[in-house]
Order: sequence, then structure tokens, then C-alpha cells
Amino acid sequence: MTETFPGIGIWISALLTLFAFSFLYKDNPFFRFAESLFAGVSLGYYVGIVLNQTLKPNLIEPLTTNFAGNWDLLMAGGIGLLLYMRYVPKIGWVSRYALAIYVAYYIGVEFTRRIHGEVLPQLSRTVVPLFPWTGATLESLVFVIGVYSVLVYFFFSKEQNRVTRKIARVGIWFLMISFGAAFGFTVMGRIALLIGRLNFLILDWLYPALGI
Amino acid sequence: MAKRPSAMDRFLEWTLNLDRRWIYLLVAVSVITPIVVPIGLPVTTTSSTRSAFEFVETLKPGDVAWLSFDYGPSSAPENDPMAEAFLRQCFLKKVRVVVIALYPLGGLGLANNVLAKITAEFPNLVYGEDYVNLGYKDGAAAVMRRLGDNIADAFPTDVNGRPIGEFPILRGIHDIKQVKVVFTAATGLIGEYWITQVHAQFGTPVIIGPTAVSAPKYYAFLNAGQLVGMLGGMKGAAEYEKLLRAKYPELDRFYGGTRLFTATKGMDGQTVLHTVILLLILLGNIAYLRSRARRRVTDVGGGRGPAGTRP
Amino acid sequence: MSFDFGRVALFIFFFVVPVIGIALGLRSPAMRSRIPIITAFIAGMIPILSLYIPKGFLSGPQGMSPRLDRWLIIVAGFALLLGIVNVVQNNSRRIARRDAGWAFSVVLLAGLLVTGSLGIWGAVSGEGIGFRADGSTTPFKWIEDRFFQPLQSTIFSLLAFFMASAAFRAFRARNTEATILLVAAGLVMAGRVPLFELLAAPFPALQPSAASVSLFLGGLTEWIMNIPNGAAQSGIIIGDALGAASMAIRVILGIERGYLGLGAGE
Repeated sequence: MTETFPGIGIWISALLTLFAFSFLYKDNPFFRFAESLFAGVSLGYYVGIVLNQTLKPNLIEPLTTNFAGNWDLLMAGGIGLLLYMRYVPKIGWVSRYALAIYVAYYIGVEFTRRIHGEVLPQLSRTVVPLFPWTGATLESLVFVIGVYSVLVYFFFSKEQNRVTRKIARVGIWFLMISFGAAFGFTVMGRIALLIGRLNFLILDWLYPALGI
Repeated sequence: MAKRPSAMDRFLEWTLNLDRRWIYLLVAVSVITPIVVPIGLPVTTTSSTRSAFEFVETLKPGDVAWLSFDYGPSSAPENDPMAEAFLRQCFLKKVRVVVIALYPLGGLGLANNVLAKITAEFPNLVYGEDYVNLGYKDGAAAVMRRLGDNIADAFPTDVNGRPIGEFPILRGIHDIKQVKVVFTAATGLIGEYWITQVHAQFGTPVIIGPTAVSAPKYYAFLNAGQLVGMLGGMKGAAEYEKLLRAKYPELDRFYGGTRLFTATKGMDGQTVLHTVILLLILLGNIAYLRSRARRRVTDVGGGRGPAGTRP
Repeated sequence: MSFDFGRVALFIFFFVVPVIGIALGLRSPAMRSRIPIITAFIAGMIPILSLYIPKGFLSGPQGMSPRLDRWLIIVAGFALLLGIVNVVQNNSRRIARRDAGWAFSVVLLAGLLVTGSLGIWGAVSGEGIGFRADGSTTPFKWIEDRFFQPLQSTIFSLLAFFMASAAFRAFRARNTEATILLVAAGLVMAGRVPLFELLAAPFPALQPSAASVSLFLGGLTEWIMNIPNGAAQSGIIIGDALGAASMAIRVILGIERGYLGLGAGE
């Protein structure tokens, strides 16, 4: 961080920040300019990182330096390009092959991730000793009641009866505590972003510009 | 007969109908004030952050740690201090660090900036031996599957296009199972993938530094033993900074300067605005409850005789 | 050229079969939906089976699964850029027709063109998109640091204002559930920051008591996060994961076809 007069880059960043903040007063052309510029630059950013960080090292260079050992990557490139056929009116349907491979692959990965990485470990956490009653086991009891009552609440396949409705109500209370806690954390998260921005405006731009 | 609103009720009604831009101004003033006039409020640590810190403290010189930038500028004030603190701790302990980015919207830029900032503080570090930046890759889930077998399959080169075989840091490190810990500074799903895919399938210990928005969910993973530790949002980062400064007082020169942004300093603004928002919520609910009570009295008075009697 | 089993199998499943499917589809529209579903089944089953069948042809270093992982890293890159075509089409149309706000479309396309060109230049010239060898920043990185990062940070930071305003206007204890939510939120917000130390700042004599209250609230917050919140989140994770796993089976088996732009009967 420098205390010398801010350079052109800092001035640009500061002005764009102020343009974006101007929306708080009301919608205006400065904000819309910043918003449009952000959208355009973000998309251009995607082009830069995908080309430099994925396509060049993982596709283009292996094919150009060692085609014999990497010829199969041509098909990966072909599948990728096939995705763009959706924009060609008459043959848009051929992109279904690329979409089928892309979506189904990640769904297959997701399947094992969910079962292996979420369901099993989370369920195992509920299989804990609940006796004798000490501080720790009582906490575990509350935890287990919470997990299963929430699961009962989310069971929508069958209409709930008198018993399950009562259990689901306990589940709702646990959910409300969780959502309240989540709100508290969300407040913290959003404030942090604002602190970062105002910190930049004041300490990185305004103070050096004023010679403070 | 309807009860006339009191002065208090009229005041509450006026505040509730206030133009929201006054609220925005109040929010801005609440955040700007502690930046201009630092308060220096204390930070207390929590067990999830202490676990993370103590785990990294168990690493030995020469061990390899993995830092993944899975966030963008939209959460940089929360996640940057976490990544910086982790890097400082590793470099002080002579733990070697492999840096990657998996977040498409800005992760790479932040990785470059944070690494440049922290490595400048340790001029004796050698790129390729003490740390390396492997850059960004698309398809996080597929990348992690490859990391479990062969890092070079996912990252054949570093961020500048040099083949990774050139770097001594990665000799002897063939896959993620040989890494001592993965630290993911994350916003969104990618942080979760490290836990539910990499840790679940390959057993690598994971520390997560999520944004505050997603932190509540990770308590479930922490409880299930799927995480070694967690730094929840800017508060978590401030806690880690506190632990770091207590263990390594030489870092005070980076955390004590007035112009440097740190999570600890950011907590002043958090505290002030939390107080303001709590007061606003309280005010809103007092107004709501009073108006609800007034309506009940009016309803009872209009439909029958005096309260408690029949006409 | 090496023709190991993994490569040849993927060549057959994901090149030969789609080519046959496209050829058949050109003649008969009915075939345009059936063969992609078969392709999806194979693509979805490979990563699942590779975890349970530790055979070299499937999960070995040269097996189908690792090779498919490498492919899909590349395909994900192409997929990320897919939306750009749509954006360019829509904004070009808006400029050509001089629709309301067309000048902002010019700004958008200019930003895309300049940044994208610098990214392409970085790849073609070999200087990349980060720091050069001498430590200076590339033009792409300069745009990233001065335009992209500030704009993204600021636009997201606006949420703090909206959230404060919404909390003031809408966060009400209307019923039991809302009251539980409100109390939990209040306790967590007060417990995560040294709120009482701040309030007691003008009164030094009260600081020790304020610290004790903060410590108690902090402990209570931690308990809330670990036990009730942990339990609820665990329940949500389990339920969500089971739902996602069943959706995954539906997609892989071809029961769910909406992602291909197909209806239930197609």
C-alpha cells in the first residue's frame, strides 16, 4: 500500500467503484455503464483464463508436442466444439451428444460424491452413544433428535399423520434456529464485502489523493 | 373507541416509513467510522479455528501443503486474509506450498496477487522449490478426481506454462494423497468438493475457509470429522491472525500497520454495523408489536363493549 | 500412436457412436433423441463403476475413467464460454435495432472484445495472463486488477445495504417460528462480534463485565452452531444428497431428459 498520489489504475478502480455505489441513490447511467462494463469484462476474462489455463496446457500443447501419445484429446476438443452447435439453427440437435456426455459425466461424479462424501459420513455422526447421560451424550441426543426430525419434515412423498406431524414440528424449530444462525452469518458476510470496498476507497484512494 | 397513537408510536411509524436511502447512509457511516477512527476491539478464538491452526503447527519443514483459491473478488475481504495467514504460517514453518485456483470468476488473479504479496515478505523463498503456482483449471470435480491419481494429469504445467516435472517441490509428490493438508479458501460448492470428494475418497486432511454466508453448513462436516478445522468468514480469518501473531510476534509488522487491510481491523466495522442492524431489527419489532397490540385493542373495542364484557 | 484399451473404448463410445447417431438422426428425427441417451448412460456410468471395479481398463492409469476425467476438464472449459455466443447475439441485435439502452450493449461488447483479445494475445504470445518473468503485469492482468476485481467486489458489496434495509423492514416476530429465527439470529449476531465491549467502550469500568458477557454469548453461539444448527444442516445435507443421488440415477438411466431439451415422451 502506497501513500504516494494514486496512479491512473487506482483512479479507474475508484471511479468504477463510485459508479457502482451510485445505484444506492437511484438507477442512473453511471451505474448502468459500470454494470455493462462488468458483464463484458467478465466474459472476456473467461476467454482469457480458459484459453491460457485449460485449453492451451491441457489440449493444444499436448496435441502439438506429442500427438501420438495424446491423439484422443482431439475427441475432447470435438465434444467441446459440438456444444456450440446449439447455436446453428438446422443442426442444433447434434449438440445433444456433447451435452449428454458433459452432464451425465458430472452427474455420475456427483452421485458417488453425494453418497460417499455426504450421506454416509453425516449418518455415521448420528450413530453415537446416548447413555450414560453426561453433558456430551445429552448434546448428542439433541443432535440426533435434530437430524431425524428434520429428515421427517422433508419427507414429502406421503401425507404426514399425527405423530409425524409433531416430529416434523420439532424439525421446523431446528430449521428455524439454523436459518436464524445462517442469517446472522450472512449479515457478517455481506458486511465484510462492504468493509473491503470502503477500505480501498478511503485508504488506497482518498487518503493518498488528499496527501494524508 | 380507537386509542390515539402515542408520541412513541408516531416516532416508530415515522422510522418505519423512512426512505431506505437514509438506512443506506447509516450503514455507510457505520462502516466508514472505524476505518477512519480505528477502535481495536478484541478478537476471541473458537475451537474450529484453533483446530485448524494447531493442525498446521504439527507440519514439519519440507512437508507439502496445498492451497486452493476457490473464491473470487466478491468475497476477497473475507478469504484473502485467510489465504495470507495460511501462507505466512507455512513459510515460517518452512512448509512447502502448492497453489492452485479452481474458481473461474477471479480465483487465478487473486492467487497471483496474494502469492506475490506474501512471497515478497520472504525473500529467501525459491519458486519451484518452496512454493509453486499451478494456475487455474476448469471442471473442479474432474480435476479433483485426477489429483487423486496423478497431479500432472490435471496440471501438466504451472501457471506460466512450464512443465511441472521441472519443479523440485513436486518430485516425490505424485498425487494429493501425499500432501499433508489441503487448505481451501472457498465461496460456494468447490470448497465442499474438497471435503466430499478429495477427503472422502483419498483421505487427505482438509481445512476450509468459507465465506460467512456458507459457513453454517460446514459445521455439519466439522462435526462428522470430515474437516480438520474451519475459519468462518472474516471473524475466522481474524481469529487465525490472532493465533498467528501470538505464536509468531515477528508478523506484527504486517498486521500492525495502519494502512494494511487485515481481518482483525475489519472486525471493528463488523461490530459497529452488527450493533446498528440489531438496533434496527429491535426498533422494527417494537413498532410491529406495539401496532399489533393497538390493533387488538381497537378490534376488541369496536366489536363488543369494553374489553372483557359482552354488548 | 498408442491404442490402449481405454483410448479405443472411449473412441468407440464417444466418437463412433455419436457419428453413427448423427448420421441416423439426419435421416430420421426419431433417432435424434435415443442415441444421446445411450451416450449419457455410458458417460455417467464410467465414473461410478471406476470406484467399484479396480481393473486397469477402467480405473488404471491408462484406463477409461482417468482418460475421461482429462477430457471433461477440457470440455468444461468449452462449456464455460458457451454463454458468450448468446450474449454477443443478443447485444448485437440490440445495437442493430437501436433498442433502448443500446449504448450500454456497445460498452458490454467493447469490454468483452478488449479483455478477450488481451487473453488471446497472452496465449498466442506466450506471455500469459498474470505476471511476466520480470514481475511486471500483463495488460490482461491490469484490466483484471483495475476493472474486473473492483467492479465485482463493489456490485456484491451493495448487498450489505439491501440486507440492512430488508432486515429493518421485514424481519418481524410474527409467529413462533419467526420468533425462534429472530432470537437465534440476534444471539449469533451478538455472539460473533465483541458487541458489549463496543457498547462499554466509553465506560472503562464496565469492560471486564462486557468481556464476560461477550465470552458467554460467544460460547452460546458456538453451541448453537455446533448442535442445533449442525443437526439441521446435517439433516438438510442428507436429504439433499439423497435427492441429488436419485436425480443422478434418473438422468443416467434416461428417465430424466429435460437437460437435452427433450420432453417426457420424446
